[in-house]
Amino acid sequence: MPPVQLDSPTWSAGSGAEDLIETRIASVLGLKQFMQGPIRTLLIKGLAGTGKTTVALEILKAAGKGKGAYVSSRVPLDLLETHIPAMKETLHNQEFLDIRLEDASSVLDLIMQLTEPKKFRTIVFDSWDGLAKELDQRERLRAEKTLMALAHNSGAQLVFVSEEPGATTIDYLVDGILELVTVEEQDRTVREFIIHKLRGTKIPQRKYIFTLLDGKFTFFGPYAIPDYGKVSKIAQRPDIGESYSFGSGALDRLFGGMIPGSTLSIEYDENVPYSALRAIEYPPIINFLSRGRSAILLPLPGANDEIINSILARAVGKSVVNDRLRILNILRTSDLETASLPKNATPQEIHEIVTNETAGLRKRSMDKTVLLVKSVSALENLFASDLDSLLEVTSQEIITLQQSHDAHILFLPKDSPIRSRILSMSSSYAKLFVRDGTVLMFGVKPHTGIYALQHLEDPISPSLTQLV
Amino acid sequence: MEDDFGTTFTSAVHGGLDKILGQSGADAVLMHMKMTNNLPDPAEFHRKLLALFGPQGTLSLERAIVKDLAIRLRWSLSVLNIEDTFDFSATMRALEKGVRS
Repeated sequence: MPPVQLDSPTWSAGSGAEDLIETRIASVLGLKQFMQGPIRTLLIKGLAGTGKTTVALEILKAAGKGKGAYVSSRVPLDLLETHIPAMKETLHNQEFLDIRLEDASSVLDLIMQLTEPKKFRTIVFDSWDGLAKELDQRERLRAEKTLMALAHNSGAQLVFVSEEPGATTIDYLVDGILELVTVEEQDRTVREFIIHKLRGTKIPQRKYIFTLLDGKFTFFGPYAIPDYGKVSKIAQRPDIGESYSFGSGALDRLFGGMIPGSTLSIEYDENVPYSALRAIEYPPIINFLSRGRSAILLPLPGANDEIINSILARAVGKSVVNDRLRILNILRTSDLETASLPKNATPQEIHEIVTNETAGLRKRSMDKTVLLVKSVSALENLFASDLDSLLEVTSQEIITLQQSHDAHILFLPKDSPIRSRILSMSSSYAKLFVRDGTVLMFGVKPHTGIYALQHLEDPISPSLTQLV
Repeated sequence: MEDDFGTTFTSAVHGGLDKILGQSGADAVLMHMKMTNNLPDPAEFHRKLLALFGPQGTLSLERAIVKDLAIRLRWSLSVLNIEDTFDFSATMRALEKGVRS
C-alpha cells in the first residue's frame, strides 16, 4: 500500500487559514488573555521532542511581525530553520538572539535591553533551564524573580521553554504552565498538551490532542457533531482501480478503497459519538448510490430511519434512495413492517431476508454490486441469547460475499462478545476511540498512522488529520 | 571620608541588589546601567531602576540598598524611615551628610 497522504487538513487558501492556528491557540490557551495582560509569563515544559519549540514559535508568531524576540540558548538560527522549516518566516519576522555562549548576567542584561523600551510584546526564552542549571538554587530563584519583575514592569510576555519535567522554582513564579507530552496509543504516538496553570483564565478543558503535521502546531478541540442541515449533493468519486471508493478522499487515502468481496470492520469504543461513525457509514453508501449501485444499511442502534433517509436523500436525491437503498432497522416494530421482517426472526431468517433484499437491489445496481453496511451491535441486541447463530450467519455472509463483487462494512462495538471472530474474518480493520474529547482513528489491518476525525469540509465526509 | 562613603555606597548597591536579584541579576542591572565601575548618582540610579522594575520593584531594591548601607555604616534603620514614603536620593544625601559630619 502506498504511504497514506491525507487531505491536508483541512483548510483552503483564502479562508483565513493563515490565521487559524493563532485563533485556535488563542481559544485554548487563553492566548488572547496572554497577549492582553493577565498572563505575562508562561512556562512551556516537556521532554525533548515533544514540540515545545514549535508551540513557542506559534505564540511568538501571534505576537505580530517585529513584536517578538526569540532568545536561543540551544541552537543557532540556521539550524532552527532547518529543524522547523514551517517557522522560517516567523523566525525572520522576529528578533533572534543567540545566547549559547553567554553567562547569566549577560543574558539578564539582554532581557533588560529587550524589555525596557517596551518594544516587544513577546519574548521566548528557549531554553531557560539550559542557563538556569548553571546557577545554584538560591541564585536561580533570584534570577527568575528578576525576570518576572522585568516582564511585569515592561508589559512584555515572557515565554520560558524548559526540558525539566518536574516542578522547579519557576513553576511557582510564572502565570501559566503548559506541558507537552507524548503518549503511546496502540504503538502509535499521540501528542497531548496539558494546561497546568493559567492564572485569571477559565480552563474548560485541561488536556488536548495536537499534531505537528507540516511542522505546524494544530490542536484538536472536543469532537463537534456536524450540522446535517447543511448536507448538499455530493460529487461522486470514481473507483480506485479495481476497488470501490469510500466516497471520501480521506477514507480512500487511509484504506486505499474497498476491494470487491472484502469486509471492513470498524471497531469503536462506547464513547465514540454515533455521528463520528456515520462519517464512515454514509460516504460509501452515498457514493455507491451516486454511481448507480445499490446499498443495504442496518443502522446503529437508536438511529432514526427518517433522518437517515432525509440526509441521504439530500446527498443523492430522493428517487435514488427509494430505488436502490434499503434500510433495515430490526429493533422497532414499525421498522419490522418497513423491512418486512417477522417479529421473532432468527439470525437465519434475517440472513435470508437480507439475501433476498440484496438480490432485488442487485438487479437495480448498474453493475450488479451491492454495498452492505451493518451494525453488529444492532444484531447483538436482537439476538443476545443466540450469539452463536448470529456468528454462524455472519461468517456465512462474509464467506459468501468474498465470492461476489459486493463490499461489506461492519460496525463493531469494542466489547462485542463476537469481536475477535468477526475481526479474524475481516479483510480490513480500523479502530475509533476518544481521547481528550477528540475522536481518533487508525487502521490495524492494514497498519496506518493515527488520525483525528473531524467534520471540517462538510457534515457527512470525515476530515482526517494525521497525528505526527 | 567622601571616598570611604563612595566605596561603601557602591558595595551597598551591589549587596542590596544581590540580596533581591542575585549575583547575576545585580551584575546585569549594573551592566545595563553602565555603572559597573562608577559611583552611581542616586537620582539617576533611581530613574534607571524605575524604568526597569517600576515603582514597586524599585522601592524594594532601594530599601535593600539602604539597609545594606546602614549596616555597613552602623546606622540604625529606625532613623532612616524607609518603611513609609521613601525618597532614595534624599536618604542617600542624609546618609552621606551624616558620614561627613
